[in-house]
Amino acid sequence: MSDDQTLAEFWRIRNAAAATLALTEEQMRRAVQAATVEQLAALFEAFSPARSTGPEWTRTFDPLVEHLWTWRDSETIAAVAEAFRARGIPWASVANALSPERGGRVRAATPHPSWARQPAFGLV
Amino acid sequence: MGLIQGAATVDRLREEIQGVRYRDATSTFCRLMTEQDRPLKDMIKAAIASTAPYVQVPSHLMQLPNGELRGVNYDHTILGWRGAISLMGELGGSRGILPNIQAMWYVPQGLNVWEQVICEFPGHYARDGEQCGKKFPGPDESVNRFDGPAWNAPRIYFQDHDPIEGGSVDERLARMYWAIAEGDKAEAYGLFLGLARDPANRRRLKDAILFAGITDLQDTIINRGGYQNIGHKALRARALVDIADYLGWDNAHELFYTVVPDLGCSPRLYGLWSEICTICKMELPGYAAIPKRSDKPLNERELDILTEAIVWGGPFDVNAAIMGFFKRGAGILDVGDAVIACFQRYLIDVLEHPNAFLHPTHALDYMNVVQSWIRDYDNPHQAKAVFMGARFMNDTIRSNANFPRDPAFNLEPRSNYRAWADDIPIDRLLPILKDHVLAQDAPRSCALVDSYLERTRERHDLLDTITYAACHWQNDPHVMRNGASSLEEFRHNRTSRRDDIIRGYVKHQARYVKRAPTHDCFHVYVDYFKPANA
Repeated sequence: MSDDQTLAEFWRIRNAAAATLALTEEQMRRAVQAATVEQLAALFEAFSPARSTGPEWTRTFDPLVEHLWTWRDSETIAAVAEAFRARGIPWASVANALSPERGGRVRAATPHPSWARQPAFGLV
Repeated sequence: MGLIQGAATVDRLREEIQGVRYRDATSTFCRLMTEQDRPLKDMIKAAIASTAPYVQVPSHLMQLPNGELRGVNYDHTILGWRGAISLMGELGGSRGILPNIQAMWYVPQGLNVWEQVICEFPGHYARDGEQCGKKFPGPDESVNRFDGPAWNAPRIYFQDHDPIEGGSVDERLARMYWAIAEGDKAEAYGLFLGLARDPANRRRLKDAILFAGITDLQDTIINRGGYQNIGHKALRARALVDIADYLGWDNAHELFYTVVPDLGCSPRLYGLWSEICTICKMELPGYAAIPKRSDKPLNERELDILTEAIVWGGPFDVNAAIMGFFKRGAGILDVGDAVIACFQRYLIDVLEHPNAFLHPTHALDYMNVVQSWIRDYDNPHQAKAVFMGARFMNDTIRSNANFPRDPAFNLEPRSNYRAWADDIPIDRLLPILKDHVLAQDAPRSCALVDSYLERTRERHDLLDTITYAACHWQNDPHVMRNGASSLEEFRHNRTSRRDDIIRGYVKHQARYVKRAPTHDCFHVYVDYFKPANA
């Protein structure tokens, strides 16, 4: 820590970033809740290694799954999962991530403390 | 054992190897040593001589009828021997024989790779990777004919050659490197043989052949299929140097035949080498004068920066981090040690799927070749090789990260078992660790190692336990090779995070996908060598 920087200053900067992220998450929540099964499936298709824009994009797969299980109903997710299960082994990671068992674990493990604006999502 | 008829002879061993009768060949190999007191070194030489003509391929790229290309695997028989010879000294006594028996078990399964991938010869590529038994079953569908024996002789794609002599040593070394880069296998091999004859040339020849192997490395494997070598040119060069030193250079002709021609085999990939040469010319003009060690090794913050770049960053993040360390005065091995240590966080914290270990651990083994080259030789290009190794590691990590993670292969956190591990008395911990490595229980194995490392400064017995357990698994020379790399790097590493090499090693050996669920080869070893506490 340099002389002209204080812990309080660092904390203000962190808080500004958190506020921006919270607004972004809220925007994303509304979009995910309004999306059709086909639109959600199209989003997951962009995680194919052949279509991914790179590892930085693909590494956001787990946070996306976490958000989906937090924001959408089980029936919609089951419909998306079924579409990928039918495509076979190359899409097994998507189908497994959207299985009800996985969803139960994700929902149980994503805490939402009473003082927090958003649940404690994974950050990549 | 009692059913084996007839005398064990080297001729018999050769016939069994070339006939892909790997169980018989392994028994004969053991009998030659136990019944006839034949030295292990002589038997390794005999096995290498039996395979040398049959491990070459015309190319590591095969054009398919539709015009697409597929990769053709690299010979792994010689890599098994190199790992085994290295581990022999680490394990000691009759336990040190085990990795050699594993290498022997693999050898007959690793011949004639080109024919294996097109299902015209038996072996582990045909049986396992290509699943040829399903595509072309024999008359008895309950028997997989691609497990051997062979139904025809293995094919020779590159005949042995005479040495090329004449000209100064400098000229011949330069010609050899150029012949390898240009793919003139005959010229490269002939020049190597000529240079290897004179003991006075051998140190420079070893440096040159390692340099040739290290510089031929793909810039990325992301979506590349077979257009890559995942470090195999360097791994083969290191195998040549180590095994020739073990056998004696005057006794190693078949080893040279096994290794050198393939260094010039297609594809030869110099894009990454070209990039690293360019950035060093621009930013690090004094690269040739960087000392091997300095009084400015990486501090904790710098180790964190390098970890972030290798594990989570992109290729230019890696370049920038390493360039910064060299520019502020770090030595080549200071940075190389840090690359080895920082990479371990990927094994320790990130990897879960058993199949995903393969490429990153090839990068670790490549970096071990780089480090040993830097330690043992003097070459003005050695600082560049540190960039190469770190970039290879980063690329394999990025390649894995390009696939969505499959939650079906989630691992429990090692921390879940830490209290359990801490309750085990230290003098009873290692046998329990061995059992959990054999059970492929990575969370408990890792927790046991974490606990052990914090409770004692003892490391030799810990590494011995992990390595001996790892060597129970058959059909896979990668196990011995990675064991050799990890133990060697642990011994030399001077960073504060040296123990992470053991943490990464045990995670690898307790999780990496296994090619066979049984320990038949290990039982052959026990039958013949009767080790205490098997």
